[in-house]
Amino acid sequence: MTEPDDLLTLATPYALHAMPQSDIDDVDRLLAQAPTSVAAAFAEEVRAVRETMAMVSASTAAEPPGHLRDRLLAAVDGRTVVELRPRSTRGRTIVFAVAAALAIGVGAAGIGFAIRPVPKPTAAEQIFAAPDVRTVSGDIPTGGTATVVFSRERNAGVLVMNNVAPPKPGTVYQMWLFGANGPESAGTMDTAAVAPSTTAVLPDLGDSKTLAFTVEPSGGSTAPTTPVFAALPLV
Amino acid sequence: MTTFDPTSKLRGVTADLDALLRRVARQDVEAFATFYDNTRARVFGLVLRVLRDPGYSEETTQEVYLQVWRSAAGYDPAAGTPLAWVMTLAHRRAVDRVRSEQSAGQRESRYGAATVEIPADRVAEAVIQLDEQRQVAQCLDSLTDPQRECIRLAYYEGLTYVQVSERLSANLATIKSRMRDGIRGLRKCLGVS
Repeated sequence: MTEPDDLLTLATPYALHAMPQSDIDDVDRLLAQAPTSVAAAFAEEVRAVRETMAMVSASTAAEPPGHLRDRLLAAVDGRTVVELRPRSTRGRTIVFAVAAALAIGVGAAGIGFAIRPVPKPTAAEQIFAAPDVRTVSGDIPTGGTATVVFSRERNAGVLVMNNVAPPKPGTVYQMWLFGANGPESAGTMDTAAVAPSTTAVLPDLGDSKTLAFTVEPSGGSTAPTTPVFAALPLV
Repeated sequence: MTTFDPTSKLRGVTADLDALLRRVARQDVEAFATFYDNTRARVFGLVLRVLRDPGYSEETTQEVYLQVWRSAAGYDPAAGTPLAWVMTLAHRRAVDRVRSEQSAGQRESRYGAATVEIPADRVAEAVIQLDEQRQVAQCLDSLTDPQRECIRLAYYEGLTYVQVSERLSANLATIKSRMRDGIRGLRKCLGVS
């Protein structure tokens, strides 16, 4: 591929990303050393291929889900929208291990965290280790329990849901933090996310006083559209 | 979306997209929203065609637009139109994702069924004009079968041209000319300058 003519035959696969990254790097290196006319012809071919495929994209057009727009605008607008996802089994174990330590700590202040299992603190561990850590727990009317362990100092919490029935198909559970400015979405959980035991980090509590749950259409809503079916006071 | 302005049809909005992109480079959220509305169906549709998984396509589309937000200042009008720029970003990310799934050995399980049903009402008729789609379909039809197959395997299946040549048991020079001639045919048929 060192001959200029050979280089030009690679312009189309290059423009279509039909090359491994290592080949693309090779071509870029060769272009940097190639005569200006060759580099210009290569760039023109790449441009034409990409303009053509941009036109062809009319044939594969499909509407993205509406919530993607909300999420993107929220992301670039500096607000945080958090997708709650089930944590790994390891994370869950840590949560319960530290929760157990907390329970011990109630009776024997100070010794609980000696059994903290991993050296590098996770978000959950930092919350549990905070001096102002609090726990609120409540039953979900449709079955199961929700527990939030949170710290105002860390401005974060950990939500643990046990034995909560998954949402009906086409719907999600959406979490809302209610503060002075009304409800802010704290993420959604779909059927796949609601395991027998589900743990998620709530990274930004702000001035919220309540964590509330509603049922929303798939993908979630920008504001609650159904009555709150469960709520936990964050005090 | 109700915000769509029917007077700005994609073919004629290059100048508008240019202006929008300059405003996006100055971190103008409103301009970003309009840029998104004018390109989202093409971007999401292409990503979905390559990845075939709606959830992953959504993630990848989000990454594409966050990249638009971060790197709009780097857009060079001399290198192409804003539409070609964003479609190139989208295609690159989709192909990268397919290849990383392949190398992780997950493609067979997740892409095995290899079909995504896209209901007609999800096609963005407001933004993409039907006559434009028809024209593209006709131009694709005007290619030879081997040319179309090469472009499909490389562009939509994310294969490298070497993998295409292995798949079709044809030598590299043949594959490269089929790709080049196929794109040239499309280009001429679509009247791309």
